[in-house]
Amino acid sequence: MNRMMVEMQAVQKNFGELQVLKGIDLELRQGEVLAIIGPSGSGKSTLLRCLNRLETVDAGSIIIEGEPLVTNGLYVPENKQRAVCAKMGMVFQQFNLFPHMTVLENLIEAPLVVKQMKKAEIVPIAEELLAKVGLADKKDVYPGRLSGGQQQRVAIARALAMNPDIMLFDEPTSSLDPELTGEVLKTMRNLAEENMTMIVVTHEMGFAREVASRVVFMADGIVQEVGKPQAIFENPQNERLQAFLKNMLK
Amino acid sequence: MEKILLMIYPLAEGSLITIELFAVTLLLSLPLGLVLALARRSQNRPLSKAVEIYNWIMRGTPLMLQLLFIYFALPGFGILLPDFAAAILAFVLNYAAYFAEIFRAGIQSISKGQYEAARALGFTYYETMRRIIVPQMIKRVLPPIGNETITLVKDTSLVYVLAMNDLLRAARTIVQREFDMTPFMIAAIFYLAMTFVVTRVFNWLENHYARYDE
Repeated sequence: MNRMMVEMQAVQKNFGELQVLKGIDLELRQGEVLAIIGPSGSGKSTLLRCLNRLETVDAGSIIIEGEPLVTNGLYVPENKQRAVCAKMGMVFQQFNLFPHMTVLENLIEAPLVVKQMKKAEIVPIAEELLAKVGLADKKDVYPGRLSGGQQQRVAIARALAMNPDIMLFDEPTSSLDPELTGEVLKTMRNLAEENMTMIVVTHEMGFAREVASRVVFMADGIVQEVGKPQAIFENPQNERLQAFLKNMLK
Repeated sequence: MEKILLMIYPLAEGSLITIELFAVTLLLSLPLGLVLALARRSQNRPLSKAVEIYNWIMRGTPLMLQLLFIYFALPGFGILLPDFAAAILAFVLNYAAYFAEIFRAGIQSISKGQYEAARALGFTYYETMRRIIVPQMIKRVLPPIGNETITLVKDTSLVYVLAMNDLLRAARTIVQREFDMTPFMIAAIFYLAMTFVVTRVFNWLENHYARYDE
């Protein structure tokens, strides 16, 4: 059995009166690709954002590679949190590249500032990552000059430049034109083939079906069903899931 | 012609004082304004409120009054400042409040996604502000900061109430002595030259920041 990478236990999250996560249990092992699907408002993005503390949970525990981030609603100290979360890279729906930096600068910024690496060390790594996402020739361009698909591939390379063990994708293709989603999905597929541990919140049912090792269906802040893609897509048990799939695939 | 040349020397001397006042004020009030803007946005409620009140007072009362207060009222509290220092103190305290509000607006205009990307990459709050937010903010606040800077060139003339021989006072002294309006014309040309330089510097900065789109 592969090493445990992410454990969530009874995680709850409220936005004011509204409870968006109502006790989530989730486990992820090394090399797994977990796709999280579900209707909007189901809490799937919130779940992802709780993992790297873009949201704080109100109850429950999160353990990353054996290190607790939060135990029964109590967070470890700030510097410990940063160390735990450094194992995860994140890709956003809106890319969130730094517009005032060139593509290469976007990639090397965090390694230089956060890891205090030398420029001579990180630049070759960054160039290699850019080649991997097919954008070696764009390294001196500002993000504003790139297409959405190119920007998202830069964002993936930027997250990888920090050498994470786990990659979190928050609807990475949702703000792309349909003809640009393919190049981003292909980059993600390549990552999965290299055995990267990934959690992908997505509306791309094709990707979930073909690339994910397990699929999580969420609705109303609860994990309704978990299973192999085949089981989820071909033999859904949960009524909400059946209705959701019918709607999505129509 | 000779008469004009004789006037130019004291006016040039006055310009030096004007330029010194301008440069020192700008150099001190910009960083202070940034600190105030960050304090205003701080989670610490009393601190944020204190800065809000400070900005309200500084922007809500005449600069002239502040200048007179610092010059004439502070000695009553046992604080004696040389003319130049008193003038600088008044200008810096006043301009920092204006810059603070401009910076605050600029910082607020940066999208939440930039903070989230920085946090996800492991940046501390300080690193996020220094490397990601403030550099982008500068591009957005250049036009209003340029405006305030041009106003500062002209506001320095308020020091005539402190008996400092700045450009305007130097001109007025000659006018009163010679009953000749020429020094006012020359002073106007000097002010125009200074604001011209400031305008060009800000144009250059705006072009420099135009290298990237947002």
